[in-house]
Amino acid sequence: MADTAHATDGCVTLYRLPARLARSWLSRYSWLGMGYAFALTVFYLLMFVVPFGTAIWLSFHNWDYIQTPVFVGARNFAKLVDDPGFWGALWVTVRFSVVEIIVAISLALLLALALSHLRPVLQYILLAVYNLPVIMPGVVSVFLWRWLYRPNGGAINTILESLGLPSQPFLHSGDQALWSITAMVVWIFLGNSSIVLLAAINEVPDSLLEAAQLDGANAWQRFRSVTMPLIQPALAYQVVTSIIGTMQLFEPFQLMPGPGHSTRTLSLYTYQLGFEVLNLGYGAAVSIAMFIVLLSATLFELQRRRKSWEY
Amino acid sequence: MSASTSLPEPGRAAIRNHTKHGRRFSSWQTWLLVAILVIGGLGMLYPFAWLILSAFKTSNDIVRIPPRLLPEPWTLEAFQAVLTHQIGGARLTRAYVNSIVVTVLTVAAVLFTSTLGGYAFARLKFPGREFLFYFVLSTTMVPFLTLLIPLYVIMDRLQLLNTLAGLIVPAIFSSFGIFLCRQFVYGIPVELYDAAKIDGAGDFTIYSHIIVGLMKPVISVLAIFTFRATFNAYLWPLVVIADARNYTLPLALRGMSNTFGAHEYSKLMASSALTLIPPLIVFFIFQRNLVRGIALTGIKG
Repeated sequence: MADTAHATDGCVTLYRLPARLARSWLSRYSWLGMGYAFALTVFYLLMFVVPFGTAIWLSFHNWDYIQTPVFVGARNFAKLVDDPGFWGALWVTVRFSVVEIIVAISLALLLALALSHLRPVLQYILLAVYNLPVIMPGVVSVFLWRWLYRPNGGAINTILESLGLPSQPFLHSGDQALWSITAMVVWIFLGNSSIVLLAAINEVPDSLLEAAQLDGANAWQRFRSVTMPLIQPALAYQVVTSIIGTMQLFEPFQLMPGPGHSTRTLSLYTYQLGFEVLNLGYGAAVSIAMFIVLLSATLFELQRRRKSWEY
Repeated sequence: MSASTSLPEPGRAAIRNHTKHGRRFSSWQTWLLVAILVIGGLGMLYPFAWLILSAFKTSNDIVRIPPRLLPEPWTLEAFQAVLTHQIGGARLTRAYVNSIVVTVLTVAAVLFTSTLGGYAFARLKFPGREFLFYFVLSTTMVPFLTLLIPLYVIMDRLQLLNTLAGLIVPAIFSSFGIFLCRQFVYGIPVELYDAAKIDGAGDFTIYSHIIVGLMKPVISVLAIFTFRATFNAYLWPLVVIADARNYTLPLALRGMSNTFGAHEYSKLMASSALTLIPPLIVFFIFQRNLVRGIALTGIKG
């Protein structure tokens, strides 16, 4: 109202100009949008920017949570390069992530392909069964599998024995512990990983598959040349979220560890440095290294995928 | 509004065509496939059977060698024991209530901020919109472990350590949820927004009367994911909560596992079985919508 009054009297006093400009600038925007953006910005400043900045800052300091942090330059990173604990944890993390992702996504893809041949009702029922483990809190899965993996009297060794196979130490062996955990994690996430793939496979147009069949393509060729290229985006999504998920997985490594450092991942190592050894500066440096590893792995994967699906 | 029935075109077509691959299969091949999938499914369920059945075993029965899947005799003593057992002066029921309070409030907050955020980022104009969106998206690249120690210090400064609020506040906004909802709102015809605008509806009225109603599929997907992430959360509660009275279920279970020996494993399995009840209920209500929802949300690209 005030605006139109001013506009008609034609003589805008100079000191009001900034306010008018601001108002016309604002009127292009939605108040709700700006209010939301404000709340969002405050939240991410407090819960992301400040913590992330602090982590970087902290990685150049030594701090035990009690005394004032002492600036040490890049010494934490120099220490990291010479720290067998860090390289060991990185190696465990990489082996676990790579094997888990390859096994879980291959199985999930097989599962999704098999399910796509069935009627919707059967798809839903079977998917519900395969998806059941993922609803369990990680802590429950760990307690359950720790019990199943027991060397004496565990359910899995009982099965092995009844098949005439030797029983295995599983979590008590430095060689087997990591793969025992990997098997459990595959069991947990298998159904979940296949949901996105199934949704993508269900959307592959019928006409393309039929055309390929008329051209004499067998099932494998139809999969390679029709289905596979069309589900690339879903596959890429699944691989990237799996990289992020497996790199950060924590519960199994803390609650069902193998002997020594055989299952100590970067996430567990960071946690131990921060909350058990109270070496917060070095812990921050390790966590920054973890961030760099995760970022490079993700970018590498996206780059690789982009090439393959543009092709 | 007739709009609510005209929404999900691409996804709906996908669901109608579910059986398309099936048509090329002869019936014995389909049966073989079903048989393999059912056997695999039983394999998936086998560990569950151990969890549930072990909860009904006596303390002698549970350590029997070789172990037997079925309890002999059946007993409820493990359930009775865990319901009266105290960890650090708090009962399992207390952790149950804590978990449900935290989960319900977090899911409600995330659903509100994500649907509103999806709408704002897709339809409303405000300065820095694109920058803010890609910033929010990029935060998912930073491992939670990197933020853990500084976040702990911030919670300390905000006096939120050792409180349930300390579990909820850092989870109010969800980058994943905002992303999911924005993609979905882009699929809702702009004309709908413009028409309501011309009729004089405010931005918030359009959100609450039109947009939210159309977002049901994505809301159920997001609700399941957020429920699962919150109810199952372990690391953040482990860091924030020290007092057993504020334990959530995963922490209470961990506390129990530290005090119970092998012959008390039936108690651990009994409390685990009790813990599974809320997720199972949510799972059976929403599972049907999950595949459909994901087909409609466009995650798959």
